[in-house]
Amino acid sequence: MQFQPIYSNGKLLLPKFELNMASNPSMGIITDLKRKQLLMNQLEDHSQYYVFRAGQNEYMRLTVEELITFLVKVTEGNDRVALLIDYFALKDERKVKIKDLSSSKRMYVTLLRVFFAHQPTLVLEEPYFYLEEEDRRHFKMILDDLSKEKQILILTSNLEDAMISCDAIYRLNESGLHPLDIRDSEEDKQEAQKQDEANITLQKISTKRNDKVILFDPPEVDYIESMDGSILVHVGGENYVCALTLTELEQRLLNFGFFRCHRSYIVNLQKVREIITWTKNSYSLRLNTGKDAVVPLSRSKLQELKVLLNI
Amino acid sequence: MSISLKRARAIFVKDYKEFSRNYALSIMLIFPIILALLLRAAGAASTLPGSFATVLNLSFVFLTCFAQACLIAEEKERNTLRSLMMTPATTLDVLIGKSTLVFVMSAVVLAISTYLFGYEPESIWAFVAAILLSIILYTAVGTICGLFSKTLLDASLSIIPVTIVFSGAPWGAFLVDDYPIFKVLDYVPSSQLVHLLSIQSAGFTIGDLLKPLLIILAWTVVLTMVSVVLYQRRLKDE
Repeated sequence: MQFQPIYSNGKLLLPKFELNMASNPSMGIITDLKRKQLLMNQLEDHSQYYVFRAGQNEYMRLTVEELITFLVKVTEGNDRVALLIDYFALKDERKVKIKDLSSSKRMYVTLLRVFFAHQPTLVLEEPYFYLEEEDRRHFKMILDDLSKEKQILILTSNLEDAMISCDAIYRLNESGLHPLDIRDSEEDKQEAQKQDEANITLQKISTKRNDKVILFDPPEVDYIESMDGSILVHVGGENYVCALTLTELEQRLLNFGFFRCHRSYIVNLQKVREIITWTKNSYSLRLNTGKDAVVPLSRSKLQELKVLLNI
Repeated sequence: MSISLKRARAIFVKDYKEFSRNYALSIMLIFPIILALLLRAAGAASTLPGSFATVLNLSFVFLTCFAQACLIAEEKERNTLRSLMMTPATTLDVLIGKSTLVFVMSAVVLAISTYLFGYEPESIWAFVAAILLSIILYTAVGTICGLFSKTLLDASLSIIPVTIVFSGAPWGAFLVDDYPIFKVLDYVPSSQLVHLLSIQSAGFTIGDLLKPLLIILAWTVVLTMVSVVLYQRRLKDE
């Protein structure tokens, strides 16, 4: 469906846009009261659109059963009234007059008018606004069933209401129609989580000792040292051989608070107790592990470390 | 525009239930009967042959016109009319369903009050024709009132000018001597009904009977057409 632009006092209220209903059986547009009305005013064609406005009221003096009988007859439907009442979950209210229903139930019964519409597209303004939890659930079920054959457009100013039963949600303002990709962002999050998990398993540091593979969590590691071409991972005063290079380890451990303090050393900054200044140009890091461990610190890395530690 | 009896009947049944449970409206059903009994008790039946026309003229406005206006205004007030327009029911289905209800109610109640009043028309066919035409006429007036009112309250108030013009017209005859302009009121259907009912048993011609009937018929045709056209036009604006 296509909407024409509407101007008021030279300001663009409603931009021109087209809505492709074919791809999604049920859509929601989140916008303000004024634009909702402007949209509905453009859906005049009674053969195409059934427009349910929020101000819709009901024949107060009929009972629920009489009302549904009337709606079936006036739309020349073939449904059995008793079956419909079961489907609508209104068995207990069958003999109750509309005016005696609770306000949520009254709204729910009023909303049932859309069920009897013959138009291919149903447009509903704020359908869930006055409904209580249970009636919401029932009405969502009815809309879901309807959306198998018809296209449903929900106009609301409330994101949560739109999320109840819309496959695609748009936000409409003066600059146009913006898709709100809620489902996709959820999937993104899940993917991101998976990635994290993958990283964590990868970031276990695998070492070897006596032909056994031992895995360490990065926080356990005190420091890593390169000695005679082999990489030694120091944990709790013991050292273990690792197959990775220092550069690879540095990249993997960057997020765990590790720091390349020297060409041949990576240190776990969480375990650094003291920066020792030997001379003006020579420094070391003392770690707070059980054994007295000291790691050299390059002069060129000192500045970087100071920034990291906010000194 | 197609007319479906099934849909019109559904609207008839729905409106009957709504009407009968709305006591502020359905109390109007006993108005013609009480009026007939009152006037009979006052002895008007024997002295003034045209006095039954007063019962009829007031009843037409307070029952027929009022009920129709309220039925339409109430649907407008609750936006159910707009919703009905989106069903397969056409404007004529709705109008026929409502008018039939009002027609049947008016006809039955007026028949009862005629019997209670003890009125015996000189020409039964002319009397019945005049009554039936008048009911259609006042239903059309009620439709127009309903279309121009947004709520039930508006509709109730819109009855007042109708009462003045239609029910009050026969009394305009008293002013004709001073203000000749009021001769116009003689052509209002209610005045013609008075003329028709005043015809004495001795020596009346077919022409005496036909003239009021034709004037009422003309009013009925014109107002019915106006109401249908207005109805369709107003509903398009909705």
